[in-house]
Amino acid sequence: MSTPVTSTSETGTAQGASVTPAVTAGAPRLARPPGAVLLRSEHLLVGHGGRAILPPIDLTISAGEIWTVLGRNGAGKTTWFRTLLGLARPLGGAIVRARPDLRVAYVPQRTQFDELYPVRVHEVVRMGAERGRSVFGRSRVDVDGALTAVDALALRDRPFRALSEGQKQRVLLARVCAARAELALLDEPTAAMDVVAEREAFSLLARLRAEHDMAVVVVSHYLDVARELADKALLLDREGQSVVVGTPAQVFDSETFHRAYGTSAEVCAHDSPPAVFHE
Amino acid sequence: MSDPSWADFVAGFEIFRDPLLCAGVAGLVLGFLGVFVVLRRMVFVTATLSQSAGLGVALAFYAQIHLGWALDPVLGAIALALAAAGVFALEPSKLRLSRESILGVSYITAGALVVLVGDRISQEAHEISAIVFGTAVLVRFSDLVLVLVVGGAITLLHLVAHRGFVFASFDPEGARVQGVPVRALDLALWGSLALMVAVATRALGVLPVFAFAVIPAMTALLLGAAMRVTLVVAAVLGATAALVGYVVAFLWSFPVGATQAGVAAALFVVAALLRRLRPA
Repeated sequence: MSTPVTSTSETGTAQGASVTPAVTAGAPRLARPPGAVLLRSEHLLVGHGGRAILPPIDLTISAGEIWTVLGRNGAGKTTWFRTLLGLARPLGGAIVRARPDLRVAYVPQRTQFDELYPVRVHEVVRMGAERGRSVFGRSRVDVDGALTAVDALALRDRPFRALSEGQKQRVLLARVCAARAELALLDEPTAAMDVVAEREAFSLLARLRAEHDMAVVVVSHYLDVARELADKALLLDREGQSVVVGTPAQVFDSETFHRAYGTSAEVCAHDSPPAVFHE
Repeated sequence: MSDPSWADFVAGFEIFRDPLLCAGVAGLVLGFLGVFVVLRRMVFVTATLSQSAGLGVALAFYAQIHLGWALDPVLGAIALALAAAGVFALEPSKLRLSRESILGVSYITAGALVVLVGDRISQEAHEISAIVFGTAVLVRFSDLVLVLVVGGAITLLHLVAHRGFVFASFDPEGARVQGVPVRALDLALWGSLALMVAVATRALGVLPVFAFAVIPAMTALLLGAAMRVTLVVAAVLGATAALVGYVVAFLWSFPVGATQAGVAAALFVVAALLRRLRPA
């Protein structure tokens, strides 16, 4: 059984928001035993220029969990995500890693890659295995194994920029495999994909989680991802100064969710045919 | 009087050996460094570094004349070029500015200061351009040694840290998340370019140095090869432009630096035509 909701501040303010009792509606969807704790966000305050944009966030990410981060445009998803990655400084609180050498992999939005670069697929995958000063030593990474794990070995010597969006995502997931990542953080990984490629990417993600007991955090606009794939969800709402942490069902039933997404969200969250992600 | 012949060139090779070697090494090293310059969309970085080196020489003369300091102009050139490289390595987005605008400000500021400082050392002003902007026809032995030592060290650095430079350029945020020292690699990349530009400009002049740091990389990138192959091809093209340019300039009595730049441009045109003719 999944762990209960860790914190909710449905009506809090950025500074000193009051933490209201956990949302209790909805049953946990997946019955996974909790894995080892990998990372904790302790009263984490995120923002820009010294100003917090969200109430403090408390959550715990454990091995084997899939988290989805929800929120409308400008809700603070990217700011939270960049802070978690260490690319932005927290304004308060702490990010506590289980170990200093926790293997974290990051899959950025595809727009972040400059198409001028003539890097080949095997070079991109090899980058996943780099850690700290390893870039100065001999590279020992099973590139072919990582590409095989995502059914992309045939792409090995092709230019990364020449791949379709679905193929690029496969290669970036191979990079996660090459990293032997314990925690993978993906920023809107399917933003430029069609529906079929998107489903394939998430099925692959589910399979990698199952095979490697990897924790996955996905920032996504797609509520299907939260509903069908995620064990936990984080909903951010900058405008309403609210943060909800819980199972997807709990988050979908929260007042913040209904305020942010309105009635259209109910259709997505409850009534549309379920997406199928095969592990 | 007729143009010199190939036999004249061979007969006088002893004289031409040092400038050929100097230009070849500069073309080779600037060729592969230029791949990063072009990929990072900073082609005018070389011009700015040359201008900064010029300011370093002017300041060294000023210090000699007005402060009585015995400062070697070449050291001044290297110091100012390295300082400029340090500015380029800063993250300009924190100031909500583009790197291109930082380049522009640096170029204009260094250019203006060269004129202003030059105004106070008018008797040495003509030497500044001779010292900073060499002629590529003949090089002093000390300049050759400097180019060989700096070029060798930079090549070694890039052989050791090749994967780091590529990762930090292609996916800097991913590299930072994985603990790769992106800031240090950026400093090393721009620092190595600054050093090479400072010593090569001193020996060869601005035009060929600018050409070696931009055109061979563009030509190599046109070919669409893998990253590692692109770096090697750019280095070979840089050296080829330097050597062929020197020989062509000798045989047809052209200015050396301009001919070297022209050969680099001709190779680019050939590659562009080949690419157009290549079946998709």
